Amino acid sequence: MRFSSVKYLTGQGFKSVWKNKMMSFASFCIMLVSLLLVGMCILATINLNKVISGVAGKNEVVVIVLDGTDEEGIEAVGEAIDELSNIEKSVFYSRDEAWEDMVADMTEEQQEVFKYAEDDNPLPDTYRVTVSDIEKLTDTTNQLTSIENVEKVTAPTEFADVLVSIRNIFSVVAIALIAALAVVSLVIISNTTRTSVYSRRKEINIMKYVGATNRFINIPFFIEGMLVGILAAVAAFFLTMFVYKGLGDILNENGQILSILGVRSLYGFSDIIWYVLVGYVLAGGVIGAIGTTISTRKYVKV
Amino acid sequence: MIEFKDVSVTYSSGVDALHNVNLKINDGDFAFVVGSSGAGKSTLIKLILKEIDATEGTVIVNGFNLKKLRRKKIPKLRRTLGIVFQDFRLIPTMTVYENVAFVLRVIDAPAKYISSRVPYVISLVGLAHKQKSYPDELSGGEQQRVALARALVNDPQLIIADEPTGNIDPALSYEIVELLKGINECGTTILMVTHEHDIVRHFGGRIININAGEIVFNEVIGGANEVQ
Repeated sequence: MRFSSVKYLTGQGFKSVWKNKMMSFASFCIMLVSLLLVGMCILATINLNKVISGVAGKNEVVVIVLDGTDEEGIEAVGEAIDELSNIEKSVFYSRDEAWEDMVADMTEEQQEVFKYAEDDNPLPDTYRVTVSDIEKLTDTTNQLTSIENVEKVTAPTEFADVLVSIRNIFSVVAIALIAALAVVSLVIISNTTRTSVYSRRKEINIMKYVGATNRFINIPFFIEGMLVGILAAVAAFFLTMFVYKGLGDILNENGQILSILGVRSLYGFSDIIWYVLVGYVLAGGVIGAIGTTISTRKYVKV
Repeated sequence: MIEFKDVSVTYSSGVDALHNVNLKINDGDFAFVVGSSGAGKSTLIKLILKEIDATEGTVIVNGFNLKKLRRKKIPKLRRTLGIVFQDFRLIPTMTVYENVAFVLRVIDAPAKYISSRVPYVISLVGLAHKQKSYPDELSGGEQQRVALARALVNDPQLIIADEPTGNIDPALSYEIVELLKGINECGTTILMVTHEHDIVRHFGGRIININAGEIVFNEVIGGANEVQ
């Protein structure tokens, strides 16, 4: 196809948006609502995942070193822990630090009593370990237990299972919801544009009689649908930014809600701005273009 | 060139629209197809445009065997034809120039060729001063002349005019047929469907009369204008 034809067909697509402004506006509104619903759903999902990860990160695995292990042995345990794949960080917590912290938490009378037991510190040396993926906690606990000179490992495995279940259920619900919304958007867009295409069926008919190929007829409609989709995407982006920042400010101002959950803050909009914009534009453009193409197919067959 | 060999068309409703039709229209012919409503004239046109397929027999148009022509290749066939309809079928949102240029855009003609060919063809039908007008700003006769320019612009081998004078004043009807005759004299084959016997008598030429799906008359007659 010549460049002049591509330019002409693209121009026709742009002109059609204006010529059929009522239909374009209807498609725009429907697409905007659909994109907003899908977008908000995705943003809620990724933030919930962050909250869950935060909660999971607050739960440490305690690796108790066998009593009587020398310094080299203790260091070897630390190295063996760090070599495991699912370890985010490990911090050594010596029996002396543990004793000092315990005594510091006591009343003065209690401290007096325990002062004499200092030389007989019964507390063990430990490593406080945070795992990267809480879903693999049981496996990691087993690996930690099998390290030489490790006496015992305490891990909140039941709590982890509950968190993993919540995350999995939420992920499935979110994916189903996003897929359903995408399909519903596609159907509604296709039906809305069908009305627009129907009103231009005579035009399509004439095109067919003068020897236009299906591609020649479809391209302007395709561009029109894509353009309306992209416009809706840009509008959805700004609305999302406005709502997200507003909600984020409220939650971040009331920091205790998030800190209880182990999350310092939600994802900042500036961190995800490009993902949101590109995601919306791609989804809007593709849904708009496909929806319109589905509608034209019937009338192209003359 | 159009050739029908033992062509029959039976619609899914059971109606026999054409029955064993044999017909040959050579390059450069001017033929009138006449007949009453429901005689089979529209079916004949639909077959030539490959809107429908023959139930039996073979249809050949401009070298295309329509029985073997794949759906994807239909645009190629239609680009060798110019079509003029009774109801003009101009695109209302396009100017006269754009309506005519549209056909060349469809065949991916170079922009330079379009900008020189379109004004020339519009001037041939006498509408050079109306290039920027929209169809609803034109009279019926003018709209039909735009349709004629559109049919002519890609220099087709064959022009099919389906009752082109049906929606315009009798006086203007003669003008339209005169234009078609002029085009025919330049070598383009013309097939004109009409039920206006006065026009047929006036211009004469090849007359194909269809009745109840069969060709009952296929002869060349002299026109009144030739006699005068």
